[in-house]
Amino acid sequence: MARSAEQIVEEGLSRYGSGREAVMQLLTDVNNELGYVPEEAMRAIAKAVGVSNAEIFSVVSFYSFLSIEPRGRHIVRLCKTISCAMKGSADILQALKDDLGIGVGETTEDGRVTLETTSCIGLCDQSPAMLVDDVPHSRLTPEKACEIVRGLE
Amino acid sequence: MAEEKRVMLGQEGAETGSALRKALSLKPADVAFEVREAKLLGRGGAGFPTGVKWVLAGGASGERKYIICNADEGEPGTFKDRVLLDEYTEKILEGMAIAGHAIDADTGIIYLRAEYPYLIPRIMEARQNLIDRGLLGENIGGTDFSFDIEIRPGAGAYVCGEETSLMESMEGRRGEPRNKPPFPTNQGFLGMPTVINNVETFAAIPHIVLEGAEWYQALGRGENSGTKLFSVSGDVENPGVYELPLGSSVCELLELAGGKDTQAVQVGGASGATIGPDELDRCMSFADLPPGGSVIVFDRSRDMLDVLENFMEFFVHESCGQCTPCREGNMRLLDVIADLKAGRIESMKQLKPYFQLAETMKLGSKCGLGQTSSNCFVDIVSKFVDLPDDVKGDA
Repeated sequence: MARSAEQIVEEGLSRYGSGREAVMQLLTDVNNELGYVPEEAMRAIAKAVGVSNAEIFSVVSFYSFLSIEPRGRHIVRLCKTISCAMKGSADILQALKDDLGIGVGETTEDGRVTLETTSCIGLCDQSPAMLVDDVPHSRLTPEKACEIVRGLE
Repeated sequence: MAEEKRVMLGQEGAETGSALRKALSLKPADVAFEVREAKLLGRGGAGFPTGVKWVLAGGASGERKYIICNADEGEPGTFKDRVLLDEYTEKILEGMAIAGHAIDADTGIIYLRAEYPYLIPRIMEARQNLIDRGLLGENIGGTDFSFDIEIRPGAGAYVCGEETSLMESMEGRRGEPRNKPPFPTNQGFLGMPTVINNVETFAAIPHIVLEGAEWYQALGRGENSGTKLFSVSGDVENPGVYELPLGSSVCELLELAGGKDTQAVQVGGASGATIGPDELDRCMSFADLPPGGSVIVFDRSRDMLDVLENFMEFFVHESCGQCTPCREGNMRLLDVIADLKAGRIESMKQLKPYFQLAETMKLGSKCGLGQTSSNCFVDIVSKFVDLPDDVKGDA
């Protein structure tokens, strides 16, 4: 059974402690498991660490990989920085948008996939590249990228 | 014919642990002095002398001290740390432990960028291997030195590669750079003396400890010490990581990677320097073209204004927003790039205020991001955009 935001935070606190230096790990755990950081999680972390809710919200809003909005079960992050752009990432983005019927930052209606673009992901020697959740995919073509994304449950 | 000089990427080498054992037989201060003598400059790109950091942190007082490995490799075009973390993991952990001995720290932390989650199992496996062999953990090698390593996650912010914003992030805050001083060697993570070095810097340490400072210095070309890893991408036949003596020329690297019909090379990533075909004999060294690690090659089919626009979009997104010249300046430069592309700029004279803005950003920003983000604008516009100095009718 899926854990609630509060449960994830509580278990995280027992592992990382309740110092301010535990915040990034707590947020990352929640974000990885639920796909985003819901308000309940931010409140629970703020209370445990002893800072305001706004302070935690401000931290979440700073980082590209943390989201305050619910997202799809899978997150596709296509690199748009130079080495990938030179090898055709724009065509891949267009193909993914067409195939999924969504724009950048949007989630498919069935909640399956969220499409994002990202700054350099360090796969420039195998460009163009994308991350699907935790898994890197490189030397993409529009067809290959769409095939990978279609295969997501 | 250009040749690689493989030291860090060498397949044969001393067994993991031999450098750490040797370091443990030496006094901590002597290890720091050896690294200082080796003239190893920080491989993340800023080029601060590593040994000086160690000596300062070793002499600083604090309840605890920390060793941090900066694995927030975010500079566009850079991927050498990914390769090191994946293939030379134990060497990096060993380098961190040696640093721990040198400054009397018992905790090492790898701040790993969110874009490399797939490296976590590899790093944790290497850590466990070293623990099993008595090279990490309590009383290493039967001495009273104990050292362990953990991973802390980044969450997607280029600016966190800056050492003080990295520590802000590790302390659960927005990754906004701190004012310096105080320097991390005195007050770093949680206010404690901290040594923070790049992945590649730690990977060089076991070699220096085993072979000595003189040997390491001699690896470099001229005044430069050691070898350097370069991540080569863009218009080359064989993109990848190359290891060359520090101080090698750009054309040597292009020869190895197979660059043809080269129009421009960006050395040091988006924040580095862009050079034209007549400058390829320049050296990649801290005295000439600062070698962060990224080398992006553009052939003559590329429109350099498109390249510039991509870089500037990157900086607009990645500026933390703390310093006004950086936050606003990058956006203004991106606007004028659109004007240039649309032909709305007719003379260099019209661009003068933007060159002044670039200078203001350099002078008025707190960290390396704002101080360097206008480099690509200045270089690309002055070298690759063909406009008259003035046109008739200009006010």
